[in-house]
Amino acid sequence: MSIRLAIPKPTMQKTGGRPVLGTLAVIGYVVMIVPILFVVAAAFSGGDSLQFPPENFSLKWFGAAVSYKPFMSALASSAQLAVLATLLALVIGVPAALALQRSNFAGKGWVQGLFLSPLIVPELVVGLALYQQLIAGLGTSTFTALLVGHTALLIPYAVRVTGAALSLADPFVEEAARGLGAGPFKVFTSVTLPLLRPGIVSAALLSFVTSFNNVPLSLLLQGRNFSTLPVSMLDYVQKSYDPMIAAMSTLILAATIVFAFIAERAVGFATIFGGINK
Amino acid sequence: MTIAAQLRDVSQVFGDFTAVDGINLDIESSKLTTLLGPSGCGKTTTLRMLAGYAQPTSGSILINGKDATRLPPEKRNLGMVFQSYALFPHMTVADNVGYGLKLRKVPAPERRKRVAEALDMVGLGHLADRRPKALSGGQQQRVALARAIAIRPDILLLDEPLSNLDARLRLQMRAEIRRIQQETGLTVVLVTHDQEEALEMSDVMVLMRSGHIMQQGTPQDVFERPANRFVAEFMGYENFFATSEHPQATVRPENLQLLERGATLNSGAHNLPAVITQIAYRGVDVMVRATATDASGTAVDLLAAVRADSGLASGIRLEPGSEITAAIRPADLVPLAN
Ligand SMILES: Nc1ncnc2c1ncn2[C@@H]1O[C@H](COP(=O)(O)OP(=O)(O)OP(=O)(O)O)[C@@H](O)[C@H]1O
Ligand SMILES: [Mg+2]
Repeated sequence: MSIRLAIPKPTMQKTGGRPVLGTLAVIGYVVMIVPILFVVAAAFSGGDSLQFPPENFSLKWFGAAVSYKPFMSALASSAQLAVLATLLALVIGVPAALALQRSNFAGKGWVQGLFLSPLIVPELVVGLALYQQLIAGLGTSTFTALLVGHTALLIPYAVRVTGAALSLADPFVEEAARGLGAGPFKVFTSVTLPLLRPGIVSAALLSFVTSFNNVPLSLLLQGRNFSTLPVSMLDYVQKSYDPMIAAMSTLILAATIVFAFIAERAVGFATIFGGINK
Repeated sequence: MTIAAQLRDVSQVFGDFTAVDGINLDIESSKLTTLLGPSGCGKTTTLRMLAGYAQPTSGSILINGKDATRLPPEKRNLGMVFQSYALFPHMTVADNVGYGLKLRKVPAPERRKRVAEALDMVGLGHLADRRPKALSGGQQQRVALARAIAIRPDILLLDEPLSNLDARLRLQMRAEIRRIQQETGLTVVLVTHDQEEALEMSDVMVLMRSGHIMQQGTPQDVFERPANRFVAEFMGYENFFATSEHPQATVRPENLQLLERGATLNSGAHNLPAVITQIAYRGVDVMVRATATDASGTAVDLLAAVRADSGLASGIRLEPGSEITAAIRPADLVPLAN
């Protein structure tokens, strides 16, 4: 999958003035980006095999990818899953971020750990656990199990990214609003929420992309008539190896770049990744 | 004299630590009162209780004669300026200043007028459409001030409003806050740990130490008649010694007279035999350190600030080892309670 690779690019600006680090960074980006360029180039091939340079220029494989039923139904499934999981993760993660940032309570560190733990536990373990408990144990549908798994996967992103947006704000703005005459609810709608909005937007975008691209969980939990786009693409590659897969990858890459661009406009990468690495 | 707010036996306890310990304080209307004291003495805690951001553990708070102890901040009509300014980053300067007026349902035309008034008062009328991020620290500070003043608060509360500004701007803002307070007749409570700032700005100074009020009075009262050694030290007194009448007394360095050994000041002056230990030339004056023996026979360190040419006038040698008399005129002697 080429999708995640597109995101960290803008951090390059930090390397100015340190020649060794700068060179290493450039090598790093070249190593990541060049293979992607090969894939993109291959997608425009007019021939039947995945090769570089492409035989001749054509958009036919894009047409083929878009009209290939398994991909399109998997795309719908993936989008549906990503949207729902993102919403659920925000519903749980945003209030959690608020509580963690704005109040002190007994066991705060423990709660924080709980919310961020899915970042550390291997997804295969989570997937297996969910499979055993939900699908094998309770007989829930593939979609429900996937939704639970993806939501758990996304909550840390939601907590971190919204928390980062909030932690950049002056902790006294809410008190200032109260002093000026705003009750707690008015403070929330007129100050806290507007401060959170960029964080929520980028958390949503990041969550959506993360869910959309997820392979390990989806692979473990896929069902006979429900699979996500990455899994379905994986299946396809195992059977045939033609430029259609490159075309599909390129389409996803393009969509991801648009997403990343919107996220950058909304809050900036420093906020997003600062929040994750904090 | 009207009282804008009263603290009665107010305490604030955090766990097993008492940050404010049963203080009683009357805040006079239309005056500028400063809470002054070293870091951690409970100034901010006191201000936050007055503003309603913290509930006293015990005691009560009256605002305009009415019990406000349990009143939330939004019902108190006090204007608070935070040390970090706490401006709303997503609003323009004008919207920041108009925020409290909007909540008070002041109609838009009237609101615009009052926002403009408040911004003019702090000299920022031309920046009404900027975002806080696009302002300098001093400008942000003024916006915070305008925002608090715009609601016409019963009391304006300022927590170290000048500590983030550079020295020049600080001096300028001292004068500006004082001017606004006097023009509007606002009641102001200002927290600071800078004694010079408190002396310059206050009508009433309240000196605090570990949750207690040590002295309260006009700047002159406090500066010229410190109640005890803590206040004296905070006001820059350096010399502490015993006289025949007072177990503890002090004198300002510039009031300590240095004479030839054997010479005395007339009529009731206190004369202590002393030996110069250190000299530091400072341009206008010379700082002279000496050790002396006080009335109780104890060796004490003294610090005198003398005119650079006065050594010649009084016939003493300004150099370490020189034996002199350190003399204090009765009018300059400040007796201290323990
Ligand atoms: N929420 C809290 N929990 C525990 N202790 C606190 C809390 N708030 C303040 N304190 C303690 O109470 C004491 C007084 O704090 P306060 O902030 O009122 O001091 P201050 O006089 O404003 O000091 P500074 O000049 O440093 O701002 C300090 O020792 C502080 O550590
Ligand atoms: Mg303080």
